[in-house]
Amino acid sequence: SVSLATMSLAFDEFGRPFIILKEQEQKARLKGIEAQKANILAAKSVARIMQSSLGPKGMDKMLQGPDGDVTVTNDGATILEQMEVENQIGKLMVELSRSQDHEIGDGTTGVVVLAGALLEKAEFLLDMGMHPLRIAEGYEMACKVATKNLEAISEEFEFSVDNCEPLIQTCMTTLSSKIVGRCKRAMAEMCVKAVLDVADLKRRDVNLDLIKVVGKVGGQLEDARLVEGLIIDKDFSHPQMPKELNDVKIAILTCPFEPPKPKTKHKVNIDSVEKFEELRRQEQDYFVDMVQKCKDSGAGLVICQWGFDDEANHLLMHRNMPAVRWVGGVEIELLAVATGARIVPRFSELTPDKLGFAKQVREVAFGTTKDRMLLVEGCPNTKAVTIFVRGGNRMIVEETKRSIHDALCVARNLVRDNHIVYGGGAAEISCSLVVASEADKIAGVEQYAMRAFADALESIPMALAENSGLPAIDSVTAIKKAQVETGNPWLGVDCNEVGTNDMKGQVVFETLIGKKQCLFLATQVCKMILKIDDVIEPKRFE
Amino acid sequence: MAGQPMMHPPIILLKEGTDTSQGRAQLISNINACMAVVDTVRTTLGPRGMDKLINSDKGATISNDGATIMKLLDVVHPAAKTLVDISLSQDAQVGDGTTTVVILAGEFLRAAKPFIEDGVHPRNIIRSFREASGLAISKAKELAVTVEGSDEAEVRQLLRKCAMTSMNSKLVSGEKEFFADVVVDAVSKLDPRTLDLRMVGMKKVTGGGLRDSFLVDGVAFKKTFSYAGFEQQPKSFDNPKILLLNIELELKSEKENAEVRLDDPAKYQSIVDAEWNIIYKKLQACVDSGAQIVLSRLAIGDLGTQFFADRDVFCAGRVAQEDLERVAKATGGQVQTTVNDLDPKVLGTCARFEERQVGAERFNLFTGCTQAKTATVVLRGGSEKFIDEAERSLHDAIMIVRRAMKNSSILPGGGANDMQISRELRDYARSIPGKSQLFINAYAKALEIIPRQLCDNAGFDSTDVLNKLRQKHALPPEKGANFGVDVNTGGVVDTFASFVWEPALVKINALGAATEAACLILSIDETIKNPKSEQPDAGPMPGRGRGRGRGRGRRGRY
Repeated sequence: SVSLATMSLAFDEFGRPFIILKEQEQKARLKGIEAQKANILAAKSVARIMQSSLGPKGMDKMLQGPDGDVTVTNDGATILEQMEVENQIGKLMVELSRSQDHEIGDGTTGVVVLAGALLEKAEFLLDMGMHPLRIAEGYEMACKVATKNLEAISEEFEFSVDNCEPLIQTCMTTLSSKIVGRCKRAMAEMCVKAVLDVADLKRRDVNLDLIKVVGKVGGQLEDARLVEGLIIDKDFSHPQMPKELNDVKIAILTCPFEPPKPKTKHKVNIDSVEKFEELRRQEQDYFVDMVQKCKDSGAGLVICQWGFDDEANHLLMHRNMPAVRWVGGVEIELLAVATGARIVPRFSELTPDKLGFAKQVREVAFGTTKDRMLLVEGCPNTKAVTIFVRGGNRMIVEETKRSIHDALCVARNLVRDNHIVYGGGAAEISCSLVVASEADKIAGVEQYAMRAFADALESIPMALAENSGLPAIDSVTAIKKAQVETGNPWLGVDCNEVGTNDMKGQVVFETLIGKKQCLFLATQVCKMILKIDDVIEPKRFE
Repeated sequence: MAGQPMMHPPIILLKEGTDTSQGRAQLISNINACMAVVDTVRTTLGPRGMDKLINSDKGATISNDGATIMKLLDVVHPAAKTLVDISLSQDAQVGDGTTTVVILAGEFLRAAKPFIEDGVHPRNIIRSFREASGLAISKAKELAVTVEGSDEAEVRQLLRKCAMTSMNSKLVSGEKEFFADVVVDAVSKLDPRTLDLRMVGMKKVTGGGLRDSFLVDGVAFKKTFSYAGFEQQPKSFDNPKILLLNIELELKSEKENAEVRLDDPAKYQSIVDAEWNIIYKKLQACVDSGAQIVLSRLAIGDLGTQFFADRDVFCAGRVAQEDLERVAKATGGQVQTTVNDLDPKVLGTCARFEERQVGAERFNLFTGCTQAKTATVVLRGGSEKFIDEAERSLHDAIMIVRRAMKNSSILPGGGANDMQISRELRDYARSIPGKSQLFINAYAKALEIIPRQLCDNAGFDSTDVLNKLRQKHALPPEKGANFGVDVNTGGVVDTFASFVWEPALVKINALGAATEAACLILSIDETIKNPKSEQPDAGPMPGRGRGRGRGRGRRGRY
């Protein structure tokens, strides 16, 4: 199999080719329009996979990993991440989705679908003989018009800690496309509460690191709950320790319950029985001393980053000193922040003022399994909360966690910037109308590109309608007409078949920054892909 | 299969070619090789230039930057390598015009080729080319206009224009005005005497739009790896004292390979305590110095993190060397290698320190630095490759602005200066009797490649535009000298008036380097390749070479 598309060959005086690049014959090369077509095709096929996941009636994908693990998800970023795209252009689409995920956390499917639509329209224009960069420039102009329009149609969104109903509504919009849709109300409430708990409303900042989402297989979705405190996937070190502690002072230790070891290499010479006994006695003293120090400080619970052997465990139990061992560094830190404890590196430094406090620490068992977890609640510093998710199987739990992450991001974005636009494709249709009318005012090739951009924007409501089983063209054109006639930018696709296209009435909305970001990113990636006219790749051997 | 080696003679030819391909044949084949390389970068020139996607073992790169592409192409042909070298040297010298220089060199060679084929001695051509190049450079200097801004605002405008012209052809062109401000701000933060580029940091965070990029008038770096306890440290300070270290703050054995031998078990505890005391003393010394922020190039362990957290001190370990250096420069602190006898004078300070969330990353920002001779650009963008390319583009723009600050003479861009130089060379050529006339004329014609390529890349009829340009430039200089290609309409435009400017240095350097490279290639009449050093690269026999290739492919698949 000799590939014809090798590097451009050069010939010497006698017409014989010679090598210019390293391993030249092993490199494949695509040039000019061919390269652009191939790139667009790759991007489009990625987008096509995602298209059916868009919206409240979007479908899920099942992905099987290399180790046979199965993921079922509706989350764009996750699907793309797990698909392990090989193609470089495909990878760009994955990164596109990922960056929307990082920045906004939601709309990861929409951005890919939009980018795919933009490229599809660009292909027509390329066939018309337009210069790819002129297309990209037209898209950029259109994007500016569209984002300006988004700002114009956006509405301020009022909420406060006491009145968080609007926030809950927004989270419900996000959750409605997910598998957890059936208990979206409860989930949304949980998410909003969690975000408001950790939000710094003055600085308009939310550190999502403070919200932990923990899942456990078993039970049902409705069992999910918000713990104002922490859940630690550990149990008390000794089965006979009390299962519930109230108003407890907590000591957090990063040293093990064992004789300290110098870091320097060392050797103890034992040359007599006395010395051996001495050593043995000393070791035992250490244990007694350690437990005593904990007791003396007034701690009612010891959280230890390291382990301790059965001897120490037994002693702790006897001295009525509940303890938890092998708690990870991240949990230790969260626990310290929540309970107001300081992390203590060695026993001699344990003092009463370094202890943290919690109203209740209890060990909960789940169903008939032996799984146990520790719930730490009522911490003085509630700035760390945990959402605890239950579900029938691992896939549901994982998907629920992802959905909750999306909802949390949406709530966070609203705390950061409380402007919203209406969902259900309403904002896209409004932008599409504005871009199309602006296009006619521009002379030059860009006019076509802008019109193409307007068409591409419609692909979002189209996909929404299609996924919801509505006649796509009929419903989108009807909404377009209605928007032009009434001037209402909040008419969108009635995906849930409520009976009205009024998204404001249906309270379906999305954040302004999320939507703007989506347009920006899609346009950016489009330009990047259109600008490539030369692809040099190592050739694959058959 | 057996017939294959016969069908794949190139590698054998190369070795045997050393004998047969001498003299003219060798020269022509070298020129052809160079042309092939030039063809690769040709389409990247100008505001409508395209990008290349190059996929190699090191990962894929999407770029428009001539030097980057040339480097990634992995050219092995010895003559063609010269072109890579001039592109890289242009990058190092001026920072921009790396595509221009390659295209010019290629075109000079193309101009020389028919003469070589006709049997002209290469030395004749070289002499004339050198003469032409000297003339061209002096013409470029004549054409250059020193735009001395009368006040600061004007100088700033000038610098912005130069930055924008450099970014025209890049992926970031849509936001060139935004980035022009960023670049000019960043460079003007630097020490005007040295303009040390290392003092402009670039940090990349995926996510967000290009417009979310921002400039920090100080230092910014990503949150380093942290241990438990870090979150309990304060994350913002006003006017903090900053201690910079180059030591480990960790509980560890003081001496490697040392061993403590104990005879008395009772002394065991004292050894343990001694170790703890050492680290505590160090930590206490840091706190006692009055510092509120402790940065170290080496690790700060969990013990240190918690110790500092208890005393309301912020710390970050494993800070990258360059970041630490820039913090030192910005805050006026000095990096310490010991914590003994800390003099308050070695502490740095800045107006504000805070940890801020940027996209999915957390950044440490030191702003309002007293000694601020440094700036950091935090780049945002939709994908990693996008930001990588944005970084390269900004690098070029920064280089240009820096050059323009040192030497503010500029030329009208868009091929205008090339056309004018070309015209003047033609005029000069006509005054020479003898062969030189032909060669200098050819050189002059070769210069037209720049506007021609600009048109070709933009999809315009280059002959048409070039004819218009020639007509304009045939007019007296004050009327037509500034006309170049208008990539928006496909016509001609006074590029000086429409602010398509490039620093004169870029063109002067490019002309010199391109001519030198062309002359170098023209002066080679024989290549002697050492077959031994070739062996590990290409494989001595085609059969074996293929075998290896297959093996690689198979490995790749599994």
